[in-house]
Amino acid sequence: MWNRLRHTVRAVLGVNPAGRRLTVFPDDIFIVSYPRSGNTWARFLIGNLLYPKTQVSFANVESLIPAIHLFPDRRLRAMPRPRVLKSHEYFDPRYKRVVYFVRDPRDVAVSVYYYSIKRRDIPDTMPLDEFIPRFVGGEFFEDFGTWEEHVQSWQATRNGKNGFVCIRYEEMLTKPMDMMANIASALRLEFTTKALAGAVELSSAARMKDLEKEQSADWKLTRSTRQDVPFVREAKSGGWKSKLSMTAVLTIERKWGTTMKDLGYQLAGDMSETRSKLEPV
Amino acid sequence: MDFALDRIPAGRNVTVCPGDVFIVSYPKSGNTWTRFLIGNLIYQNEPVTFANVETLLPSIYVHSDRKLRRLPRVLKSHDCFDPRYRTVVYIVRDPRDVVVSAYHYAIKLRVLPRGWGVEQFVPALLDGSFESGLLVNPRFGSWHDNVASWLAMRHNRKFLLLRYEDMLEDPKRELAKVASFLDLSASPESLIRAVQLSSADRMRELEKKQAADWALTKNTHLDMAFVRKATSGNWQVELPPQTVACIERAWGSLMQTLGYELVSTPEEVSVTR
Repeated sequence: MWNRLRHTVRAVLGVNPAGRRLTVFPDDIFIVSYPRSGNTWARFLIGNLLYPKTQVSFANVESLIPAIHLFPDRRLRAMPRPRVLKSHEYFDPRYKRVVYFVRDPRDVAVSVYYYSIKRRDIPDTMPLDEFIPRFVGGEFFEDFGTWEEHVQSWQATRNGKNGFVCIRYEEMLTKPMDMMANIASALRLEFTTKALAGAVELSSAARMKDLEKEQSADWKLTRSTRQDVPFVREAKSGGWKSKLSMTAVLTIERKWGTTMKDLGYQLAGDMSETRSKLEPV
Repeated sequence: MDFALDRIPAGRNVTVCPGDVFIVSYPKSGNTWTRFLIGNLIYQNEPVTFANVETLLPSIYVHSDRKLRRLPRVLKSHDCFDPRYRTVVYIVRDPRDVVVSAYHYAIKLRVLPRGWGVEQFVPALLDGSFESGLLVNPRFGSWHDNVASWLAMRHNRKFLLLRYEDMLEDPKRELAKVASFLDLSASPESLIRAVQLSSADRMRELEKKQAADWALTKNTHLDMAFVRKATSGNWQVELPPQTVACIERAWGSLMQTLGYELVSTPEEVSVTR
């Protein structure tokens, strides 16, 4: 009741975050991903590429590449165009230029677990084995759908189409220069190799960790969370291997294995019984 | 002001409750017919008409969210994939017939630019440069966006795919599928009754009497029918070959997945490129 009233008052005042209600312009560029899939890193990378003189930090990232889930539509409409925006939305047909980040859901699950502790959504006494089935069942980030729904909704509609590029977080780690070149070409922007390398350098995990230490009490996304749990955590791939039990791994793979395989993520369990998404209707 | 007076249709902001059933399709793909069929199966004593369809099987684009919360929760939607919809009856129709139907509907709605023939209308529909409220709202996406986004989800929720063409071929068989999908009791007699009460002829008769009152038609050209031909394959006489090629080039692979045979020759496809 109070929540509804609060929402109504905020709606009348025009201060609710835009989210799905965002006004979209055709020249907007969106950095899209499921939560905990490298979106903030992508904002640093792309921001440092587009604004090399400013240098992205947690103090200015929300004015350079704001999150549509943090600011009201009115404020975002006032930005100079073309806008570059951060979004966690599942497929939105109005987005015409999209850099989509996807990450191994086993690593996403571990990352969401620690992030949920940081946000005090779950107690830090909850075991991962209890968290995983709930995560796979869609209990966290309800507004964005499950990891699989999110990925599928973009892949099925935009894969191979103009104005869309899908970047794997893991390849961003191993071949950052190639991936940056892919992003630039999808956005039809031209940069020198030096500019690409500079952006990668300015967005390293080490630098982001340092910036977080100084700025996380001020950043909108982290200021009301536990400051003893970092936002920029391992910034690695394959961390799930040492964190997740085999039961937890199989819980994820049984549910999302087909989509994982389609994206090139090797399964740890035997998935001979999973159905193929490519079967005819 | 409209917000305060609760006049804004819910649309994407609809509150979704567990147990809600959504009848979803791209526009002009048989959604209204499906609502009649399902409604006439659910409501054995009250035949569905254009006068009561918005209270029996309401559209999320007609009522406010608050009003919708007091109405039965079998809801009509044209939105692209929405993860909150847990039970979905999705209707798909040959996009070549969809664009023909959309073209006539655009005239009825008075939104077709003056002097536009179908050969101007279709490419504008394809590249998204033609937009007009309920006919092609940007949130519906293109036919391809809408269909592909839902089709990808058919394994991770309660999802029933209906083809408009299969419904035309044997409406009773397809309605029986819906009944078993939604756990509705359906005797052979009740299925026959529902199909008869939802026939194109009966819907045309009802439209003649009620079109001036129905939310969807009241401000449109009343001398043009909402329930038009209710057939399939009409594109073969209404669309010039280059327009067909244009559609098949853009959406051909999804059309084939759905069993819609392509007719354009490779030459026609490349000529229009």
